[in-house]
Amino acid sequence: MNTYIQFAAIKFRNNMAYRFEYLMGILNTVLNFLVYWCIYKALYGGADEIDGITFSMVTTNFIISLGLTNAFSKNEMFLHDKIKQGTIANELLKPVNFKFRMLFEDLGDGFFKVIFNFIPAVIIALFFTHIEPPAGILSFSLCLISAVLGYIVLWEISFIVQTWAFWLFSIWGIVTIKNVIINIFSGVLLPLWFMPEPVMNIIKFTPLDSIFFTPVQLYLGELQGYEIIFNFSKQLLWIAVLYIIGEFFWSRGIKKLVVQGG
Amino acid sequence: MKDIFSLFFAYAKSGLKTRFQYKLDSVVATLAVFLREAAGIIAMYFALLKFDTINNWNINELMFLFSLIFITYGIFIVFFMALRDFSDWIKHGDIDRVMLRPRGILTQLVLCGADWLAALGHGTLGIVLFILSANNVGVEWNAETILYYIVSIASGVLIQGAVFLFFSAISIYFIETQSLKEIMYWNLRKFAGYPISIYNKFIQSLLIFVVPFAFVNYFPAQFLLRKPDMAAYPEWFMYISPFVGIILYALAYLFWKFSMRFYKSTGN
Amino acid sequence: MNKTIIDVQNICKTFKITKRKSGFKGSISNIFHPEYEHKKAVNDISFKIREGEMVGFIGPNGAGKSTTVKMLSGILYPDSGSINIAGYVPYKQRKEYVANIGVVFGQKSQISWDLSPLDSYEVIKHIYKIPDRKYKENIERFTELLDMQKFIKQPVRQLSLGQRMRADIAAALLHSPKIVFFDEPTIGIDVVGKEKIRSFIKTLNKTDNITMIFTTHDMQDIEKTCERLIIIDDGKKLYDGSLDSIKRNYVSSRIIEAEFEELPEKIDIDNVTVSNVDNNKMKKLITFDTNSKGINLLMSELLNNYNIKDISVKEPEIDAIIRDIYEGKIIVH
Repeated sequence: MNTYIQFAAIKFRNNMAYRFEYLMGILNTVLNFLVYWCIYKALYGGADEIDGITFSMVTTNFIISLGLTNAFSKNEMFLHDKIKQGTIANELLKPVNFKFRMLFEDLGDGFFKVIFNFIPAVIIALFFTHIEPPAGILSFSLCLISAVLGYIVLWEISFIVQTWAFWLFSIWGIVTIKNVIINIFSGVLLPLWFMPEPVMNIIKFTPLDSIFFTPVQLYLGELQGYEIIFNFSKQLLWIAVLYIIGEFFWSRGIKKLVVQGG
Repeated sequence: MKDIFSLFFAYAKSGLKTRFQYKLDSVVATLAVFLREAAGIIAMYFALLKFDTINNWNINELMFLFSLIFITYGIFIVFFMALRDFSDWIKHGDIDRVMLRPRGILTQLVLCGADWLAALGHGTLGIVLFILSANNVGVEWNAETILYYIVSIASGVLIQGAVFLFFSAISIYFIETQSLKEIMYWNLRKFAGYPISIYNKFIQSLLIFVVPFAFVNYFPAQFLLRKPDMAAYPEWFMYISPFVGIILYALAYLFWKFSMRFYKSTGN
Repeated sequence: MNKTIIDVQNICKTFKITKRKSGFKGSISNIFHPEYEHKKAVNDISFKIREGEMVGFIGPNGAGKSTTVKMLSGILYPDSGSINIAGYVPYKQRKEYVANIGVVFGQKSQISWDLSPLDSYEVIKHIYKIPDRKYKENIERFTELLDMQKFIKQPVRQLSLGQRMRADIAAALLHSPKIVFFDEPTIGIDVVGKEKIRSFIKTLNKTDNITMIFTTHDMQDIEKTCERLIIIDDGKKLYDGSLDSIKRNYVSSRIIEAEFEELPEKIDIDNVTVSNVDNNKMKKLITFDTNSKGINLLMSELLNNYNIKDISVKEPEIDAIIRDIYEGKIIVH
């Protein structure tokens, strides 16, 4: 375990090197939030609530999903580049689990971005907007736990798509399309409360609402008793399913690599 | 002039030939660009099922507004890719090669760099949005409106070309200009997709006076759609897009020309 | 004698380099109070080159070779001094001037990675407005001379480094330039490939009377192609003349290799240094200075006093001479 924390720590330190870029990054995050804040402000047009959803709940939805996207803003071509450059074989020889190493490096990156990019951006955002406080300490802690689980769901989906680089010439297009689907149907561009019923009924059977929407609902205290357990189980179930799918592609890919020698 | 065209086609042929080597990948990547850019509108479409309008603009009018952004970008990127990526050209010393050829530097940059994937992705999206909305926004398409529309497209291309010409000139001094472009172009473009009247004064001023996206889509669309929120701006804003384009481009060109004198080829 | 085609007078170029300060405070102050360091990359260099000459430009890394070549090719403005090439001032009349030159960068290809050389030549044809007939002639001729039939229609990414280089050289020559600059054209290429490139360059120089300037690290390139050599270091011209005259005029030391019939006790000759070649000590290298000891005298001393099986005088190696010039052991004027 210690080794993996080391990987995270190295990534964290490396990031300190690019400070100017990070100041700009904060501004970028604020602007990304501001666009949707302005759009929804105009959509609400002064109304207090629409279908029981207040404007500050919408704001909170955007902040939380932005925080998670921020934590996840990783280089999704990492595995692709390693495979195409043929350095993947060397990586596999190292006495660490490559997949866990990737996860922990990304967590290191994500942790950095949350502290140095997302939190300052939220503080700036607080000057012009109102964010709902968490429904309670318990809600807040549950939200944090489920945000980590949401992150892992996001990471597993990305990992599966990345392993396709073993077979495809370039996965850039597919990664982009995957992100479009996530952005539209998991609450980044449109809070899921406003998703039309028929679409929502499909989303319920996918991991998409386990990424951002569960943490948002927990934070706002929208889930009670049994629902909390149900949503957590759903997140864990998806992590397990996605893990198995990921392992399936990964082991096939490695086999292909060994047979064809890269 | 004929010679300029033949050079453009020679470049275009070699660029397309490169792309055709990876047919499947090109198709997927174009689709990806298309969907990436469409995502905001798809989300907006769902949202408007609930909210009906945004500041009195319905989904058709929004699509019309968006279509101008994407059509102009689709054309823009056929000519200005090299300027979009100018920092990289400098970093890799590719400007040297351009300078070693007996043609104007900017001529070569404009003719050689077409990002066909982006052009197809953005362009198709723009055209799709235009087709979906053009007959549902109450515009009567006659000689006058069609001419106005075409001039607006050309102005929009020129304005964005000018913006990137400025960025390239700046990258001669600073080399790394990624975050500047990110904030001043890509982020502002996200804002520009929607009616600028929904923003506060500061963002509106940015979009009118600093990086004048408002003259790429909002004011031209207003001429055709005449939405009530136009009342907040001087009426003549609807007629000056071509001048904004020409003046901005001329200024950017002078600044660029001046800055090229400071270009330092990176040594080995 | 041919007329002067390149005339360079007292050119200087100084670069302003930003000093990078480290640490957080450093990087902030880099933005607001940058400190500069001035580096004289080229310091008062002058030379003339005649039409059809082939000149090697050598110097250690950072000597100012690249900067000089960039000024000659119109990419950089000199701070002072004047350059006149084929009637043009390169940095002022860039567009007209560069139609007359070709530049080959060994480290940077000008043909597209994903296309065949022929595809790239098509674009170059349009850029330089090369007439159809001349284009066809040149393509045929270079394909033949550079032995490119096999790969001219293959994507460049599939070519070997040597093949790619040949394709690149042809690209720079398609518009029949009067002057060609080669910047490290043989770098990283195997011996056979290097030989092909050198012989092509030599042939073309003779047949087309093209003026050529070569920068290289490989002394073999120079020895096999150039008659004239310009050495620069630290932005200054150290030497300008023929390769032979360096050997003749600036190097007075010679080496005699002698193989003895029987192992001598001790070689007792004044003003020489003796070293062993192999373990059995029968073969020895005797280094001496021709100023303090005549070669005839030394030879007879050796042959008279020792039992010698074989004897030969060795030319000093050019690499060693150049190294000595850089290090200031040999002062040239």
